[in-house]
Amino acid sequence: MSFLGKKGITLCLISLFVLVGAVGAQDGPANRQIEDSELAGMSWDEIVAAADGSEVNWFMWGGSDRINRFVLEFIGGILQDEYNVTLNQVHSGAADTVQLVLGEKEAGVDEGGAVDLIWINGENFRTLKQGGLAFCGYTDLLPAMANVNPDDQTILNDFGTPVDGCEVPWGRAQVVIVVNTDFVPEPPVDMDALLEYACENPGSLTYPALPDFTGSVFVRHVFYNEADKIYADEGGHRKLLGPFDEEVYAPVAEATWATLNELEPCLWRSGETYPAESTVHEQLYANTEVQFFITYGALGVGGNIDNGIFPPSTDSYVLESGTIGNVHFTAIPYNASNKAAAMILANTLLSFRGQLQAANPDVWGSMSVLDPSLLTDEERAAFDEVPRHPAHATPAELAAAALPELLATWLVRIEEDWRTNVLEQ
Amino acid sequence: MRFPSPQTDRGRQNLRIALLLTPAISLIILLFMGGLLMGFIRSLNYFPLIGLNEPNLEAYRLVFTDREFFASFLLTFHIAFTSTVIASILAVGAALLLRPTFRGKKIISFFFQMNLTFPHLVGAIGILFLFSQSGFLARILTNADVISRPSEFPALIYDRYAIGIILQYIWKEIPFIGVIVLAVLQSVGEDYEAVAQSLGANRWQRFRYVTLPLIMPGVLSASVIVFAFTFGAYEIPFLLGRSYPAALPVLAVRSYTDVDLAAKPQAMAMAMVIAVLATMMILAYMNLTRRYVRSS
Amino acid sequence: MASIQSATQLREKLPFNWGSLLRWLGIAMLLLWLIAPMIPLFIWSIAYRWFFPNILPASYNMRAWEYAFSPAAGALESLYITTYIAVVVTLLSILVGVPAGRALGLHRFRGKRIIELLILSPTIIPSLAVILGIHVVFIRLGIANSVLGVILVHLIPGLPYMTLVMAGVFANYDPQFEEQARSLGAGPIATIWYVMIPTVMPGIIVGGLFTFLISWAQYITTLIIGGGRVQTLPLKLFNFVSSTDYPVTGALGIIFIAPGVLVLLLTSRYLTGRSAVGGIGNI
Repeated sequence: MSFLGKKGITLCLISLFVLVGAVGAQDGPANRQIEDSELAGMSWDEIVAAADGSEVNWFMWGGSDRINRFVLEFIGGILQDEYNVTLNQVHSGAADTVQLVLGEKEAGVDEGGAVDLIWINGENFRTLKQGGLAFCGYTDLLPAMANVNPDDQTILNDFGTPVDGCEVPWGRAQVVIVVNTDFVPEPPVDMDALLEYACENPGSLTYPALPDFTGSVFVRHVFYNEADKIYADEGGHRKLLGPFDEEVYAPVAEATWATLNELEPCLWRSGETYPAESTVHEQLYANTEVQFFITYGALGVGGNIDNGIFPPSTDSYVLESGTIGNVHFTAIPYNASNKAAAMILANTLLSFRGQLQAANPDVWGSMSVLDPSLLTDEERAAFDEVPRHPAHATPAELAAAALPELLATWLVRIEEDWRTNVLEQ
Repeated sequence: MRFPSPQTDRGRQNLRIALLLTPAISLIILLFMGGLLMGFIRSLNYFPLIGLNEPNLEAYRLVFTDREFFASFLLTFHIAFTSTVIASILAVGAALLLRPTFRGKKIISFFFQMNLTFPHLVGAIGILFLFSQSGFLARILTNADVISRPSEFPALIYDRYAIGIILQYIWKEIPFIGVIVLAVLQSVGEDYEAVAQSLGANRWQRFRYVTLPLIMPGVLSASVIVFAFTFGAYEIPFLLGRSYPAALPVLAVRSYTDVDLAAKPQAMAMAMVIAVLATMMILAYMNLTRRYVRSS
Repeated sequence: MASIQSATQLREKLPFNWGSLLRWLGIAMLLLWLIAPMIPLFIWSIAYRWFFPNILPASYNMRAWEYAFSPAAGALESLYITTYIAVVVTLLSILVGVPAGRALGLHRFRGKRIIELLILSPTIIPSLAVILGIHVVFIRLGIANSVLGVILVHLIPGLPYMTLVMAGVFANYDPQFEEQARSLGAGPIATIWYVMIPTVMPGIIVGGLFTFLISWAQYITTLIIGGGRVQTLPLKLFNFVSSTDYPVTGALGIIFIAPGVLVLLLTSRYLTGRSAVGGIGNI
């Protein structure tokens, strides 16, 4: 080792230590408001002018060819043609993207960050906002926000985290049960019936391991079902809708774990393992290894049938006791390089054109967040004319069944406790 | 003819060696050792940004008291050990099959090497499509009336014994070890075996006492690489593994990408533990096998 | 000589050669095992409605391939960036690994074992253990989420292979030729270019092939250091592995393996025979 010498190595080590020590520069936990940015005081037209000729990096989950196509071709086309903005679609999940922004903040990259817009909601939005990583206060500037109901609680709160102008709604999601009617001609109508059916037909049901998003919502449906019994005289599951309360939580959780552990031997592979992600569950369903699939994408089922992925005997429906729905959003990180173009992109996604195109089941089958009462008659008619896939529940059925989400704090607790009380048992 | 003094000659020689090695060594020290060191520092909960200025061993305590950790270590060891042993044995067999000249050898060797170029990720997809309970094999068996439902096909993917993961590694590593063994076989030639044959050694004796000792160092080196790789790889156990317990690298990445900042030191600690375990096991293995190679 | 001939004749006279049959059976099984996982991959890529328990799809279409080559998939872009990174990594590791291999193969010196272990350490300690720490430094240096950062970390697992192979080649290298060239008036650079490089070329090709393939297949290092910004093919494919769209997964998987096979077509002969691959067997 004579050629480098002890001194050389020591120097290397010291410089590394210095690097570590330098990771100190720190912002407060507050999120950056638009007034503190280069866009302060600008009108919408000025923002559009500022974005002219630029490129925008949108980080979005990329596992669906239909959504990718819709975004790149339809939305990207509008951006290019009308705003001279180039859309750069980066396929990356919200959790990974929030990590990236967090890493940049750690490193003191407070300007010129890699991410301009994130497709996000729930826990990831909570992390973004709590970590002071969000850009806020700009949503009122977007023209498309005029068609969004300003008092809609599902849009003002994202899994209980106040949105506070830090994200723009993009679409609604609602849980449906997907079922193969070749095997299950008469699908069970509520949670108790579903669990009963599962044990009469072992191996037909499973759900993804938490903290998977969809696995988590399945467990919440069981949780609601238990709460409806335990708090029957106190509003049922509605008693859970406040801030986290250990006393309310404990009895429902205990009943839920008991039910799920009882269910376990009836599940696919006798519950010895759970699908790692919702998509693995979806594969099992597509291959008829299981007969039920649970999804947030109520209107995406038809596309999978048409693409030849789901069996033609597939149907989807909501439980009589209701199914949980939520809203997904787009958010701009505090250090985004191109906030102006990100705002244009968020606005285009929310615009009437963007929402109508996304609602088409041949394109994607997303549920709109626009309030029909705020639309013109023509626009409303256009939405009414969107073809409905025969395997989909009707908008009225979905709306009637919609249940609210719990606050993110409940979710975190349920996910942790499921691991210790169900998975690791 | 010049007569350089041995002193300056050795000095120049050393300088030359140092120059030749400097780029590689600095790369390894700066990037590799630097990365290890940084990971170590952060595993001590040293993170000024969120107010952690006092190094401590909390992350290691959390790692070692985690219920999943021990099960996860056993699983990871099982995957690495079983894959390495089976792949090594089959690779030696494959190399012996492909060693002599025969018609079509070129094409068959190409197919053998082709596997080397396939990324593990693609292999995992292939194994999934082939061996899942509704996969290609299960379909063939169903049509042959051996089974009637997917659940009757043995669970080879997402299973308790990590069979799918091991199958994928075997599939991918047989050509890797095999190509190395073939090269070694080729460079030692067939002289020793011919001598042994002329001395009356039978097929098995020739293999056991001549060929095997000749290729053993190559097999062991290759198997060290395979063991280390399979012990530290993330994709395959993530894609084909059970939800609980997960392999160590999956655990580490899960903590690293956890939304909770406090889990980061734990991820770093787990990375350190993986590094130390891998190093210890491989040094022990190399020591044991060196002795064996020398003694035979 | 006569006895050998008669033995061959004897073998030909035997009605059935069981040894040869077993060999061919073994080779057939080996080939089947190697190719089998790729068969459903290919069928899935053109399948439309392929449900259990059908052995073949109900019908076929090119939806997945059309998507894979459309701009929305970004596969071609990824193909380009993956190739670019792998080529640069290979060239860099040749620049770094050939000199190091020469020092280790040709010379004996104090501390050689330590240097060897140091260079080998990336094959023993999993990259994952190192990458998390490097990420912190790279963010600080501003090269996280960049192609440069990804290239640097791909060098780590690739370099040991290059160095090992080259050390093996240089162990059989005779520096006398260089001296002869020098004595005939060739300068140092000319000597390296016209004498050393051509002689050790097979090693460079084999080492380069390994480095290329290693960089080509990196997933977790690229994901963490590239932060999703450097969309190599493995990342793209992973996105689809974790989706239900088996046809698209199949098509992207085939796109992913094609360049490696192409590179092998060009280099296969260096892997057979008295190949420099043997150098990897020298840990």
